[in-house]
Amino acid sequence: MKQNARVNKQKFTIGMKKKLVVLFVIVLLAFVGLGVRLILITKNNGEEYEKQVLSQQQYDSTTIPFRRGEIKDANGTTLAYSEKVYNVILDAKLLLRNEKYVDPTVNALVKYFKLDGGAIRNYLSEHPTSQYYTLAKKIEYDQVAPFQDLMTPGTDTYDENIQGVWFEDNYIRKYPNGTLACDVLGFTTGDNIGTYGLEEYYNDTLSGTLGREFGYLDEDSTLERTTIPATDGDSIVTTIDGNLQTIVEKYIKQYNDEHVDNARKGNGANNIGCIMMDVHTGDILAMASYPNFDPNDPRDTSKLIGMPAVDEKGKLIRESDLDSGVYITQEMLDEMPDEQLYQNYNALWRNFCITDTYEPGSVAKPFTVATALETGSITGEEVYNCTGKLDIGGWEIHCHNTYGDGMVSVERGITISCNVAMMHVAQATGVSNFTKFQKSFGFGLKSNVDLAGEARTENTVIKPEEMTPTDLATNAFGQNFDCDMIEMIAAFSSLINGGYYYEPHMVKKIVSSSGSTIKNIEPRILRQTISPSTSEKIIKYCNTVVSNTEEGTGKTARPAGYMIGGKTGTAQTRPRGNRQYVVSFMGYAPADHPDIAIYVVVDRPNVPMQDDAKNATWIVKRVLTEALPYLNYPMTEEISEKEQAELDELRANMVTPSTPNGQEEQAEGENAEGEKAEGENAENTAEEGKTEEKKEDTDKQKNDKKEEKKDDSNIWEKFDVDEATGYYIDPNTHNLVNPENGNEIGGDVLPDFEGEPKANEASEGKSSE
Amino acid sequence: MQRVGVLRKPKEESYIDYSLIFIILFLLAFGLVMVYSTSSYEANLDLGDSSYYFRHQLVSTVIGLVAMMIVSYIPYRLFAKFAFPIYIAAAVLLLLVIPFGRTINGAKRWIYIMGMSVQPAEVAKFAVIVFSAALIIKLRKNLMNPKGYATALAFPAFYSLMVYGITRNLSSAIIIMGITVVMLFISTPGYKRYIIAALSVVALVGVVVVIIVNSEHSSGMNYRFERVLAWLDPKAHASGKGFQTLQALYAIGSGGIFGKGLGESMQKMGFIPEAQNDMIFSVICEELGLFGAIAVMLMFLLLIWRLMIIANNAPDMLGALLVIGVMGHISIQVILNIAVVTNTIPNTGITLPFISYGGSAVIIQLAEVGLALNVARNIGR
Repeated sequence: MKQNARVNKQKFTIGMKKKLVVLFVIVLLAFVGLGVRLILITKNNGEEYEKQVLSQQQYDSTTIPFRRGEIKDANGTTLAYSEKVYNVILDAKLLLRNEKYVDPTVNALVKYFKLDGGAIRNYLSEHPTSQYYTLAKKIEYDQVAPFQDLMTPGTDTYDENIQGVWFEDNYIRKYPNGTLACDVLGFTTGDNIGTYGLEEYYNDTLSGTLGREFGYLDEDSTLERTTIPATDGDSIVTTIDGNLQTIVEKYIKQYNDEHVDNARKGNGANNIGCIMMDVHTGDILAMASYPNFDPNDPRDTSKLIGMPAVDEKGKLIRESDLDSGVYITQEMLDEMPDEQLYQNYNALWRNFCITDTYEPGSVAKPFTVATALETGSITGEEVYNCTGKLDIGGWEIHCHNTYGDGMVSVERGITISCNVAMMHVAQATGVSNFTKFQKSFGFGLKSNVDLAGEARTENTVIKPEEMTPTDLATNAFGQNFDCDMIEMIAAFSSLINGGYYYEPHMVKKIVSSSGSTIKNIEPRILRQTISPSTSEKIIKYCNTVVSNTEEGTGKTARPAGYMIGGKTGTAQTRPRGNRQYVVSFMGYAPADHPDIAIYVVVDRPNVPMQDDAKNATWIVKRVLTEALPYLNYPMTEEISEKEQAELDELRANMVTPSTPNGQEEQAEGENAEGEKAEGENAENTAEEGKTEEKKEDTDKQKNDKKEEKKDDSNIWEKFDVDEATGYYIDPNTHNLVNPENGNEIGGDVLPDFEGEPKANEASEGKSSE
Repeated sequence: MQRVGVLRKPKEESYIDYSLIFIILFLLAFGLVMVYSTSSYEANLDLGDSSYYFRHQLVSTVIGLVAMMIVSYIPYRLFAKFAFPIYIAAAVLLLLVIPFGRTINGAKRWIYIMGMSVQPAEVAKFAVIVFSAALIIKLRKNLMNPKGYATALAFPAFYSLMVYGITRNLSSAIIIMGITVVMLFISTPGYKRYIIAALSVVALVGVVVVIIVNSEHSSGMNYRFERVLAWLDPKAHASGKGFQTLQALYAIGSGGIFGKGLGESMQKMGFIPEAQNDMIFSVICEELGLFGAIAVMLMFLLLIWRLMIIANNAPDMLGALLVIGVMGHISIQVILNIAVVTNTIPNTGITLPFISYGGSAVIIQLAEVGLALNVARNIGR
């Protein structure tokens, strides 16, 4: 024990102490070594590792979508809006934290979103670490809400085993009225980019700013997370009146439906366009074209059927110079290569009213007269002798009535649309004045309407230094130069509003997402084209086009109960002699103090004889019959019994509630019984534009005409009648002759200018198709 | 011996090494702060309680401080007397892991005693210090001959084998052997055999590493071998065994000189797995920079220096050996931990004493400090 104690009392020797110090030194050296290693790591790899650390952080920003602004009509009706939808995102890593989550979650996904459970499980097993996988896109709130309840603690259906699913906000564009105003609106692609129309032109306004949720490093390299909310886009209020737009589209559609597959397979016309404009402001009240499309589903191939096909370069396909196009059928669509299909979609989405150029035809005649009056070249009292043709620069240029209209005053020149008279007027005006005014009216200039895709027309009008007498003569009645519809109606509005050229526009107000007005877009007068007195004369002349029940070329455009003015147009297309026409009617109402203008263009109507402006007046008449009461214009004219029956029929299909017409209406109601017998007759008249019944119609009209002016029968009425069309046959040329105005079909007013290189060249370059 | 005079207080029997206590308290407080800082984000995410790890560590620390005080009052010679029972008890605890072991994070290292998880390997570290000290005193003269030396190595080696065999905890096994070797190094004269042994170990490790590298693509690699490959090229194994090491390196590198500031670590947010455990030093580097890291290392150096002073002034050989054992334990663990974090050696699960999260470890380490305080109390007697 004692020894034990002694042993326990062993001393810690000097040698051991030395060794302990050595041990401490070794430890010290190890510490120094590690310290050096730390310093080296920081010094050599510090920056690289710092970047690594930062790049590993999930601070890569996520974007928060904005709500695209709405498009509203002038009355506040929503034409386009964006609706919040949800993308269903799967976070596989989160879900796979616990095996027990998988079954309930997958089952719930299958139940609520009709997803393929097997596919989800496959994905989970193949990508167990994925944190972002889009299971479903654009699910609406109604569908998402019950699933969100599953995940929200506190709700009745809460299930804690539903894990790893979240919802990402998104917006989809909706057009609640379907095809309404499609050409004006355009549409949006999936990523909220506007294409065509207002959506494209006002894309920047409608688009908001994407919000961001992001992490950033402050000056101390500390990670901060910040959310910048998205700024919603501004809304635009258009000048479009939804009701007028609906009326216009209804009758365009009706015209198309009645003429589809008529003379040829395909739509009722290659294109039908209609613009209504407030002549005192340049506000576009309605703008529509056919064929149309549904901006909710712009790639609906069924809308392409019946359209004239274009090739993969966007050029109209033609089998010969004489046909109006090859019309798309389902079989063609099935075999169509993608590139060509895309071009055809482009043709469909294009807004005919602003993008397509064509020779306007006789609608240009009031401009010729206005130019001459304004420059003092004529007084308006001149009378010209129309022999049916005029020899200009070695070419024989015909009038519509190849047999001559006799003595034609300036006013009658407009009324009956006499080419010869117009050529005399233009000759009196001279090239320099004519082209100066052409420019002043905006032909060859962009109208700058606030819509995407307006055509450039500076090369479609003839330059002053290149204009030959022949060009001047043909330009006088609207041939050999191209314009587009918006140009024409903007220019025409200035003719009838006292000479003020307003920039046509579609949007009158920009409103922020909170509803405050950001910008009011006021009407802009660009220039004075003619003097008010000239304007009054033009109104007077143009009124006769409709009011002259004997010779007025536009008399069929008059809506019952109203007097309007206007001018018809029947333009030949290139190549000459193809018997393809662009017919149009430019009208305005009321006749004495024009407030609104309406312009209808029917491009190559689907009828056997295309050179008939009635194809356009048919639409104008019906649109105005419904639109004028809606715009609160009182009826000024007496309504014949026939017209009343027509009205009754129309009112049954009216877009807007009919406004009471005062006593006439009342009287009509009382006599309703007695007028039933006349219903049939009225119906015929209502469909007088329908070519299937053309023969009956024209026979009837011929009879009417004969009754009205028995002694004053026209030359062509002595010719034989063609059984198929009801037209007369010219014994010399064997061409068909229109019974109403003596137009010789095929005996075109314009000679084929092919012999003259200059004219030919010009017309080639200006081809509107 | 002059130093003793300097250190001796007027009341000679109650010398208390305040600087040691201060260092320990500082490290504990710092450790708790760092455990909270590193674990709160993940704890909140996984357990819904950001202070989960902090609270558990706090309880263990308090228990450890109580243990430290108790141990410091029990005369250390009593430990030597009961050295063998202590050795047996620790061995039994280790054996209990086989039937009652609890598996955490894929390793079966814990047993439950009265609702507390205990890591028997940690207890074995304490036991080996006491037992080896007693054994060396007993062998005294015989230590010089190979048989005696072998005996002194055999008992701790048995522990090491048990720890490695039962808990697959290589690092604890190495530490147990390391403690013994340090104690033997001090108690036997001469450097030759230690230098030879050290060189041969280095050579052996070198050969093994070369073999592992060359057989990289052959089958039969167990996971420790992959750790070696990950050590050589952590980026190539970034998605596997190298991930933790690489993330720790990123943390160190991104900290710079003064760090991102306390609590501002990004790497603790799910990138360094179990950052509050083995890799806590990397987060210290990231948050407090080189400055903080070196300060912590200096603190440890100060602690080791204090322990050396106590050992040098111990009243007898037993006391000195006990303190040397404690000093060896702490030195080895700190050096290995920092070496792992800096990818100087392959990744083995070694915690940083007093700082890393781990209940058993902090209690045992504080008990060891208590042992050292106990010896210090007897200085001058």
